[in-house]
Amino acid sequence: MKTNDLILKMTTTMIAFVILAFSFYLFFAGHNAPGGGFIGGLMTSAAFVLMYLTYGFGTMKKVVVINFRTLIPIGLTVAVGTAMGSFLFGVPFLSHTFKHLHDIPLLGDPEVATAMLFDLGVYLTVIGVTMTIILSIAEDA
Amino acid sequence: MNFQIILNILVAFIWMFLWETFDFSTFVIGYFVGMFLLFLMRRFIPDSFYLDRVYAICKLILLFIKELILANLSVVKFVYKPNLKTDTKPGIFALPIDLKTNWEITLLANLITLTPGTLSVAVSNDYSVIYIHAMDIPNVEEQIDGIKNTFEKAIMEVTR
Repeated sequence: MKTNDLILKMTTTMIAFVILAFSFYLFFAGHNAPGGGFIGGLMTSAAFVLMYLTYGFGTMKKVVVINFRTLIPIGLTVAVGTAMGSFLFGVPFLSHTFKHLHDIPLLGDPEVATAMLFDLGVYLTVIGVTMTIILSIAEDA
Repeated sequence: MNFQIILNILVAFIWMFLWETFDFSTFVIGYFVGMFLLFLMRRFIPDSFYLDRVYAICKLILLFIKELILANLSVVKFVYKPNLKTDTKPGIFALPIDLKTNWEITLLANLITLTPGTLSVAVSNDYSVIYIHAMDIPNVEEQIDGIKNTFEKAIMEVTR
């Protein structure tokens, strides 16, 4: 018997956004606090998995138009690109730098680091790998 | 639409609590994060993405300002006409409307009044026609088409 899962669906709509916001926080907090690209990516995939659990493949195919498999090469390219970028400035592979900015509207005095871009690569790759594993296992069943 | 705005504010508050920074700029950043998430998941939530509607409202305001300037210029030309009585044809015509709710009809009537040259006089009892007084109507069909294509279309985009 198929029961009415209205409560699950409605709660998921709210909770998915909370989890996604938390994953973004984890991603940005990684420099000075626990967090970072890996756990942020896992948390984002957790939100996606929750949505897949609730709504099933048919609906989610229409909702999420990105192919998670393509996220892996994109993430790897971003990470390697950041590492290769250090060659442009005549420093060894994977050298990172940072700069302290002043008086940016809204953000105040943020410290921007190139490690962030590397983290973005990790983040995308983790989402791609996790979702590919889970979805390819589920689709066979 | 209301649900989306509440969700967006909720995300902004969560963002403030996660950063443990309770000031306006963090709220604004959180609001932008929420906007981005809603944009990412725009097919997931019921109803269309609410910023589309905000965009439509901005377009309506800009359209109104443009029409206001153009119409005022035409009134200036009108006032300085040498023989006003013989050259112009004032009159009242009926404008059939497709708008349904009272709010939409009021907005359209007010926009017609505020752009000079035309003045909405009355709305028919069955809400299907607005009677409009115009200072100069060389061609009624043209006037009706003009209003229908600009204001009514823009209002429709806002409300549905």
